[in-house]
Amino acid sequence: MTTWSGHARRQQPGRSRMSKQRAAVMAVAIGTVASLAAAGCSSSGGGTGKQVPASAKQTIVFATQGLGAEGTATQAAVKAFEKSHRNIKVTILTLSPTSDVAYQQLTQRFTAGSPTPDVITSDVIWPVTFARPGWLADMSKFKPDTSAFFPGQMATGMYKGGIYAIPWFINAEGLYYRTDLIKTPPTTTAQVFQDARAAMKADPKLKEGLAFEGDKYEGAVTAFQSFGGQIASSNLSNINTPANKAVLTMMFDAVHKFHVAPTAVSTWEESNVQSAWLSGQTPFALNWPYIFALSQGSNPAYPAVKDKTGWIPFPNPAGQPQASLGGDDLVMNAKSTHQAAAWEFIKYLTSDQAQIARAIAAGDPPAVKSAYTAKLYATAPYFKQEQAVFNTATPRPVTPVYTQISTQLQTMISSVLSGQASPSAALSTTAPTVKQLQATAGG
Amino acid sequence: MATRASQGGRQYSLVGRDRRFGYLLAAPAIVMLLAITAYPLVYNVWNSFQHNVINSGLPPTFAGGANYQRIFTDNQFLPALAHTAGFTVVSVAVETVVGLALALALNRKFRGRGLVRAAVFIPWAVPTVVSAQLWKSMFDPQNGWVNYVLTALHLPLAHTTWLASSWTAWAAILAADAWRNTPFVAIVLLAGLQVIPGDIYEAARIDGAGAWQTFTRLTLPLLRPALMVALIFRTLSSFLIFDVVYAMTGGGPGTSTNVLSYLNWQAFFVYSDYGYGGAISVVLVVIALVIAAAYVRVFRSEQVL
Repeated sequence: MTTWSGHARRQQPGRSRMSKQRAAVMAVAIGTVASLAAAGCSSSGGGTGKQVPASAKQTIVFATQGLGAEGTATQAAVKAFEKSHRNIKVTILTLSPTSDVAYQQLTQRFTAGSPTPDVITSDVIWPVTFARPGWLADMSKFKPDTSAFFPGQMATGMYKGGIYAIPWFINAEGLYYRTDLIKTPPTTTAQVFQDARAAMKADPKLKEGLAFEGDKYEGAVTAFQSFGGQIASSNLSNINTPANKAVLTMMFDAVHKFHVAPTAVSTWEESNVQSAWLSGQTPFALNWPYIFALSQGSNPAYPAVKDKTGWIPFPNPAGQPQASLGGDDLVMNAKSTHQAAAWEFIKYLTSDQAQIARAIAAGDPPAVKSAYTAKLYATAPYFKQEQAVFNTATPRPVTPVYTQISTQLQTMISSVLSGQASPSAALSTTAPTVKQLQATAGG
Repeated sequence: MATRASQGGRQYSLVGRDRRFGYLLAAPAIVMLLAITAYPLVYNVWNSFQHNVINSGLPPTFAGGANYQRIFTDNQFLPALAHTAGFTVVSVAVETVVGLALALALNRKFRGRGLVRAAVFIPWAVPTVVSAQLWKSMFDPQNGWVNYVLTALHLPLAHTTWLASSWTAWAAILAADAWRNTPFVAIVLLAGLQVIPGDIYEAARIDGAGAWQTFTRLTLPLLRPALMVALIFRTLSSFLIFDVVYAMTGGGPGTSTNVLSYLNWQAFFVYSDYGYGGAISVVLVVIALVIAAAYVRVFRSEQVL
């Protein structure tokens, strides 16, 4: 299944003394690299070696995660690419399937200044973290068509005027509901809770009304965002807002006041939510698109949910649903000497044909909007419904210090869900630290 | 003087040849050891005096004692130190008492002893992360085995969400840690018991000593060396506890199960802050050395008595 990173586990007050200086140095450094690249002085900008033209015979290295169906789909895509580009061979460098380990593997290679891998699969929360120290190539020189992708995911690669990531496949968190128990999908949060309680009353077999992941890990942040938490980069200077307080209160109430979500959700990760949903013990569950394919699958079959699965963006108290965005991007190593060939490969992986093939073979939802065609729906009709969720997909803050900020948010959500801190107390202790961290990133 | 010097020189060249050859043979091992222990240690100490955030895009700069100052001024380290120390005392006490009981039981002769011994040691052969993950699922309030058993036996706490509040989360961590490490204590103590000669027990029995007297006057004193080995190992590894916390709670709920190694991991791998992480590592090493030295001291003085 797709990854969206479970890696940032906790916090630490930041250091803001250096922020201004650092921001200035950074701006100059990145500005220099960007202008060199833009002016076409590709020979030595940012320490890049001599570039090999796309037409030369060469081998590029593609670093990617992915086991099982995803791994097989990647190999098939590589074969098809090599067939249409006879001079380019692609070697796969397998990264750890565990998100935080893969992140460390990449960080080590980048700090060592390795020119390989050339193309890298990157969780949507990593590109700007890698771009800040100058590890990634700015792909704006290849003039990618940014309008081809879902806007939320395209934003994850934009940093200081450059394009550092191209979306590969999208992932977004939405609300699953049982179409046999919930006749009309809810449009407000209050309705979700009402419907959940009504369903529990009507059917004693249901163990809970709503399942979501609230364990102290990355998932808590995506759940918070899907519930309506306002944590876009522009909000980070002050997250202690009435809107965020309302969302935290709502999460707490779901567990402790309305009792629609079990107390266990404060220790649940997606896998727990997945089993609660597939076993038919809950009418609502917050989760990622891979559950849709599982629910509708026949090997193994889950009779409790098969043909009774609906998926919508989580109704938001503010009225504008925002499905937390996950998924994977493709990024390019700044030190790669095969950037032209690497770009050909990225172009191929994001072509309609390759995107549809991967969606059918591995269930990975296409990042390219034009891939949502009759051909895709014919094999997997649920992609039609998924599109609605992807359109509302909202990225987590796009900032080079995301992992640090995430650990702060995880602690905040965890202490609220476990009743250790009130929403307002948790927000007022977390907000200054988040602000400070964001300041170290230079805005 | 001159002759002695020349004699010495000759001797040196003969013995020295052998010695040089010896060094040559040992060189790869020495270089290897230096590379994997001395170099990282020194590099880490050096790092701890630098501002070095590896993904900041900035070169490291000299920080003086800033990283160390930060350890004692932020609100993370001292609570984590208290958690770690408390956990170490409780877990080592529990594991030692239970381990001793196990060792005494396994030292008796009974049918199927080999099988039982093997079974007792299995937990120790399971990787910690794996066992912690298993314990986490067993503590799940809905689908977990712990609450299932408590409910079946009509015991209290059957509806506890174990990992959702401080004390119960610590209890769960302690259970997972003790389940895996008690067998280690038992192995070491069993080995200690087996080298105690049987005839002194016979002599004690003839002299009319009871079971309790035999245990406190004979077994325990004679077991002291093994007990010390087990204690030193367990105390240090409890103090450096990481995997169980990482897999079960991530330091949560809130920050209530934060421990020092977790903080250290976070500084390195979440914050990419090699300066601050290095400083925490150095402090950890120093504390570990102090603990080890204290044990050795106690061990020595008791030997004399």
